[in-house]
Amino acid sequence: MIVGGQSLVTSSPVFSHDGKKLLLCTGSTVSVFSTTTGMLITELEGHTERVTSIVVVPVAGTVGTKFSNYCWTASLDGMIFYWDFSTPDLLKKVNVQLPVRSMVIPNILSASLGRSDKASQNLYAFISVEDANKEVENVKHVRGSIQIYDLTNSTHVGGVLAETQKPETLAISKSGEFVGIKKQQQLNIWRVPNKNLKSVNMKKLKLHHTRTLSCLAFHPTKCIVAAGDVSGRILIWRGFGKMRYSQDGGGKMKIDMGDRPGVRGEDDADSCSTWHWHSSEIKFLMFSSDEAHLFSGAKEGVIVVWQLDTGNKTYKPNIGSPLMYFTDSPDPSLSCVSCEDNQIHLLRMPSMDIIKSISGIKPPLILSELQGDRSHVMIGCDRSNGFVALPTKDYRIQFFSLLDGTDISHLQVIERNYDPVDETTVFISLVEVSDDGSMMCTVEEKLPEMGIGGLISLKFWTRGSHTGQYTLSTIIYEPHNNAGVSDVAFCPGRSMAVSTSYCGNFKVWVNNSSFIHSGDEIQEKGGWRCQSVGSYREIPMTAAAFSGDGSVLAVAAETKITLWDPLNNVLVAIIGDSLGPIRRLAFVGSSEYIMSFSAGTKTDLVVWNISNLSTHWSYKLLVEDICCTRSETRVAVLALRSSSDKSISTGKDGMVLVFDVENPIPVSTWFVKKAKGGRLSFINNKLGEATDGKLLLAYINGEHNYVLFDPSDVKEREDLIPKSARRPQSYAHDENVSHGYASIYGELPSFDLTKARSSDNIPFVPSERPWETIFSGSSHALPPLSKLCSPFLEALLKKAEKQTVLSQ
Amino acid sequence: MMADEASRRIFPTEPASHLRPRSRSVKSLVSTPESSFWRTFRSSTLHPSYLHLPITSLSFSPNSSLLAAASSTSVRVFSSLSLSEYDPDFDPTLFATLPLPDLAYSPSFRCDGALIAAGCENGAVRVFDLPDDKPPKALRRLNAHSCASRVVSFPLLDHKLRLFSAGDDALFVQWDLPTETPLFSVPGAHRDYIRAGAPSPVSPDVFVTGSYDHTVKIWDARVDSSASSVLSINHGHPVESVLFLPSGGLLATAGGNTVKIWDVIAGGKPVYSVETHNKTVTALTLAKVRDDTRLLSVSIDGYLKSFDFSRFKITHSMRYPAPLLSVAFSPTGTIRVVGTNNGVMYMGIKKKKDEFEDQVGSNDFAWSVPLPEKPTSRKNIRYFKRGQSEKPSEGDFIMKRPEKVKLKEHDRLLRKFMHKDALVSVLKTKQTTSIMAVLEELVARRKLIKCISNLDNDELGLLLSFISKKATQPWCARFLMDLAKWVLEIRAEDIRSGGPEMAVHVRNLCSMVAHEIQVQRSLQEIQGMISPLLVIAGK
Repeated sequence: MIVGGQSLVTSSPVFSHDGKKLLLCTGSTVSVFSTTTGMLITELEGHTERVTSIVVVPVAGTVGTKFSNYCWTASLDGMIFYWDFSTPDLLKKVNVQLPVRSMVIPNILSASLGRSDKASQNLYAFISVEDANKEVENVKHVRGSIQIYDLTNSTHVGGVLAETQKPETLAISKSGEFVGIKKQQQLNIWRVPNKNLKSVNMKKLKLHHTRTLSCLAFHPTKCIVAAGDVSGRILIWRGFGKMRYSQDGGGKMKIDMGDRPGVRGEDDADSCSTWHWHSSEIKFLMFSSDEAHLFSGAKEGVIVVWQLDTGNKTYKPNIGSPLMYFTDSPDPSLSCVSCEDNQIHLLRMPSMDIIKSISGIKPPLILSELQGDRSHVMIGCDRSNGFVALPTKDYRIQFFSLLDGTDISHLQVIERNYDPVDETTVFISLVEVSDDGSMMCTVEEKLPEMGIGGLISLKFWTRGSHTGQYTLSTIIYEPHNNAGVSDVAFCPGRSMAVSTSYCGNFKVWVNNSSFIHSGDEIQEKGGWRCQSVGSYREIPMTAAAFSGDGSVLAVAAETKITLWDPLNNVLVAIIGDSLGPIRRLAFVGSSEYIMSFSAGTKTDLVVWNISNLSTHWSYKLLVEDICCTRSETRVAVLALRSSSDKSISTGKDGMVLVFDVENPIPVSTWFVKKAKGGRLSFINNKLGEATDGKLLLAYINGEHNYVLFDPSDVKEREDLIPKSARRPQSYAHDENVSHGYASIYGELPSFDLTKARSSDNIPFVPSERPWETIFSGSSHALPPLSKLCSPFLEALLKKAEKQTVLSQ
Repeated sequence: MMADEASRRIFPTEPASHLRPRSRSVKSLVSTPESSFWRTFRSSTLHPSYLHLPITSLSFSPNSSLLAAASSTSVRVFSSLSLSEYDPDFDPTLFATLPLPDLAYSPSFRCDGALIAAGCENGAVRVFDLPDDKPPKALRRLNAHSCASRVVSFPLLDHKLRLFSAGDDALFVQWDLPTETPLFSVPGAHRDYIRAGAPSPVSPDVFVTGSYDHTVKIWDARVDSSASSVLSINHGHPVESVLFLPSGGLLATAGGNTVKIWDVIAGGKPVYSVETHNKTVTALTLAKVRDDTRLLSVSIDGYLKSFDFSRFKITHSMRYPAPLLSVAFSPTGTIRVVGTNNGVMYMGIKKKKDEFEDQVGSNDFAWSVPLPEKPTSRKNIRYFKRGQSEKPSEGDFIMKRPEKVKLKEHDRLLRKFMHKDALVSVLKTKQTTSIMAVLEELVARRKLIKCISNLDNDELGLLLSFISKKATQPWCARFLMDLAKWVLEIRAEDIRSGGPEMAVHVRNLCSMVAHEIQVQRSLQEIQGMISPLLVIAGK
């Protein structure tokens, strides 16, 4: 089972101390990427819920590389883990018992420095937690709270620092002196004392604003805090907390009201200035490492660089997507920006050029106000190569390999400039890839404004030499006059396609292009032309499918299925009524059955027998997608469960059913989450030799998380999407084949590490993993020698003993 | 992986192709090196006789100093050096006129240019001497042909005592000039008039003839005369002209609308067929274009086409106002002459600028050592420009400067979100496709209605006049009809109070609508007439 498609941008990424690695929260795992290559190095697995924050232990001066690759992670499952992310090893577990939304560790530098005297230097974390128990009370309840947690002793410290309506994200200054949150229209800032940290002697400072704040950032050295609000304004408070944090401990000093420009009420700050450029909610603020600039970003996809002293600004445009987070690395020439389209760009700093991009699967394109029943755009699947074609917001198609979990290529479909601020009026409404992936068809729609200027066009693409590289073959404007295209299907084994429309006809397109070699390049002459037009009583055509051998074309005319001979354009037969308008059709392998499902008020799933033109079996189900294999008689159905179902509270709102078409009793069933807008497809398994020839079932849910599994394997019947046991390499290897170290030296007897390392002052906890995997993975991800040496030698000794025993 | 994100392309608001009217418009005039070469010729006209008699044949002497033109009963010889200073008012260029008893055909210079021979309608072949200072003198008179001797030619190679001739009596003769006797004679060489012939560039004894019986035959004087031809090729049309290409291995024949290239060495295998002329191709010649050789063909359709026979491609074509019968190109590559059927010769003389290098090029070697380039001094502007025109050599790695995006005014305004200004600026350009593209872009941005309501009266007038002009064009009708409705609805008040200018626009709109209704009605009438016919045809 392969799980993938997690969002890379659920929370802010973190650089390792040397800037060579980038740690991202990807669902319940933490992915470590190399910043030089942009490729995945390793993954930290252990959390069972979404990881929300990562804190990397900074390198501590002369102590050296021993501390180089450690980090703390907090997750919604209420656990805080301590990792060595080079190995990767889980070193320590702390159970907070409340879902952690955000975590900062202010004294991490000093705490890790003076590890020796444990008494005085405990490691404290500020955590923002969500209290699930309070959820039931009422609407205006207080759900979030800020607490301090002692990570060394695994205890809560004191009471609650602050309570918020919803869990807030914590911000921390670089030196660890200040910790702050936004709380609706005010900022709460605490100064962290150097010692004797308790919640009672934490001093809180409040700064007020008239609008809801959205983010905040501390200046690295000075007493300056910047905050952004929902209207796009940036507020800079300078010299905050001078009185509150003064030596006498918060005695009310007299405040000179006249000399503080811009400061509201009795706020404790010298001055407050406002900058306004962004037109929407500020998503991030970040002071530059040279302390002279402030970066801000919002929906426009433009990073604005403010000169702190003057307020002058320069821009980095053309990022092409709404921005989410901005992170700077310890390396001053590198930083990264996270975009809403699930991409992270690594920037070379002063010039802000994009040097590398890490891109995940694109989020679904949701068309909110339009087209009631078709709120989700259809995505295309290449069955033979195992990739999906996803329409993106910026008028492209992303080709994403489900098997490798990597982005293959992007294809510009509509030649238009994308502006993240614009509402979607031009979009790719349908993508269909032929079975072998050699042809692709896209439908793009331009919505009219007050009835003027709508346009629908159909584009046919031909694959180039690489997977995912397509060239435009033909554009057909207004293929069905003004009416929308409901479905497109390719004929297997032939250059033929059919498009159906709501205006009551369908068109069969054929490609009779010839290739002309002119010099080096191959030019395509001719292209796709309409071969025939068919209609059935002017009823809107809603779906189409070709049979496996391409000899029969089935077109759904709302509730009826019409069968045509595609070559001669002759109506062969009509199969009677389903309950509602048919959404999709599929021929079941080479058998005599055709499957359909309908949507609307009356929904059903029907299997029709073509030979006697009757219903074989049917269900009253709300079906989202169906998919059939080309050779076998298995069919997979993705059905939504009705809201009255009791088990729906677990979030599993859909189920995947696999039928044998002869039999209406499902062979196997899985419950899945977020099935609305999901898609099913059988794809050829190209990985490894062991599972060769078997078809994998791919399920992509409404948020474009996906899972690949073998539907005939009974063992994998578990909950699907929130799966923690993902190993990027494991599916490539057979479990029995030993590799790396074990393949050379044989299996090692397990032994207790703690005893041997008790003298070490580093808080190592033995790994839970069989540690022969330490050599698997790339060379730069290997653990330090100092760590490897002793167990390695020890292992050799044991091995020798074993052998001597044997020889005796 | 995706570093190209940095260089996101900027798409200008270009009209989609559904907006462009389908037109079979001529391809834009692309300047190729070949066309720029032909453009360096200064064209002029020449009337050898003021009678409108066709110029049947043109020929340059091998050293290019003389040009002979056969027209009516004389062969006129022009001095080509003075041709370049030709003055249309009087005729000083005429070097000599060779009188012939009847219509003259096919003048031919000997390889040294000292003698000229010409055929005649009555069959006699005359040979003249052309001394520089004295009038020409008739030297020999060769009588063998009983009909017009249309083809007369000296061998191309250095063989001064031989002459070939062929004529309408289908007789082919090789003459020995001093004795006026035929050495090699083939009576009935073809079954129809022989109208074309050419000597081989590699052998003085080989000659090719082309006839109206569609065949082209190659003769070798060394083979016994009673034997048939060495090679016979069927061209498929009456052959008007034949020519050996410089290697002697390829043969070009013209007849009908086609020019065909044959491989002689491979036994007359067809190599290529050029079918670009619309009427009969009348003459062929070779031309030197820079370092290459081209085959020039002229036709009754008035076109001269230059054909690159190494790439089998037409590289240039020129049009003349009259049917063309003959063509000649000077061996130095400086003069191009075509003769028409109405007695006018069109000349192209290479402009002086290139003359020097062309003369150097005409010799096989440029013996003079090229002058060393003057070192440019710092005062000279060239000093500062040096190296700017340097071209990269083959192995160089070319770093391209990022191309500067050239945006039009409306694109610039659209990028600044100044939608109304963009609309006004594009309306002022009066380019329909651009206006439509901007309108569509405004629709995509949901700003069109707002723009329309913000236009002031003058700008509204611009929009209305555009609508009234273009709304009935089929490719933008659907859009503009809807737009017109909205404009009238939204701005009804302003139009009513807009004064006389608005009234004019509204009147134009009304007449446009009335006209369109008229058109639609007549179309319906036609449809009504056609549909019964179709129904009948369907049965």
